[in-house]
Amino acid sequence: MDKQIDENLRRAYHEVAKEEVPERFIKLLEELRQQDEAAKTPEPAGKPKESK
Amino acid sequence: MTDRNDPRDELVTHLPAMRAFALSLTRNGATADDLVQEAILKAWSKFETFEPGTNMRAWLFTIVRNTFYSLHRKRQREIEDPDGIMSGAMAVKPDHDGRLMMDEFRVAFGKLTDEQREVLTLVGAEGFSYEEAAEMCGCAVGTVKSRTNRARKRLAELMHLTDEDALEITDDITQSIVSESSAA
Repeated sequence: MDKQIDENLRRAYHEVAKEEVPERFIKLLEELRQQDEAAKTPEPAGKPKESK
Repeated sequence: MTDRNDPRDELVTHLPAMRAFALSLTRNGATADDLVQEAILKAWSKFETFEPGTNMRAWLFTIVRNTFYSLHRKRQREIEDPDGIMSGAMAVKPDHDGRLMMDEFRVAFGKLTDEQREVLTLVGAEGFSYEEAAEMCGCAVGTVKSRTNRARKRLAELMHLTDEDALEITDDITQSIVSESSAA
């Protein structure tokens, strides 16, 4: 019985997970990255290279 | 395009999973994507708090669920019908048991509490361990375990899959008898 439930859980979950990511998110990430580049705020350890 | 090893590049790979998780919480497609959007913004702005080498998906999921509980749940109290799934499911006369099961499942799943849906998705669907889920939910491992058990039990009840009646319910009459005997 638990197995059936888990199967259903995974199926419902993966139906969404295998959808293509909506454009809005790709755009959002691009915008965020561009904002970062533009601002050039000093980041604490984590950014290996500054892109000029 | 600059060539750099930016861990934030990994974010996009987690988006499908984040959407699926968000949907399990909000039960509404539009709100789910709004939730993911806010989570992305949060994650980006506090990315320095992410420890490289640790589980980014877990970190992102934690942001999604925290955002849900702090913001969306309040807004969402009125939204009861997840994408019209309930009305859709009632009208369905399935061709085979598999599809009926799926629709029944969706309806039943929607009736669980937020915390129950969350923990079932984390553990049952996404495959996090109890320990990982506990960390993400900010609660004890024991709580996650008992919550998962109770959620599974409740789901089984709602889907009429009890140990006594392991019936394939396709018959309306049988269904109403079973639902009378359980305090649904």
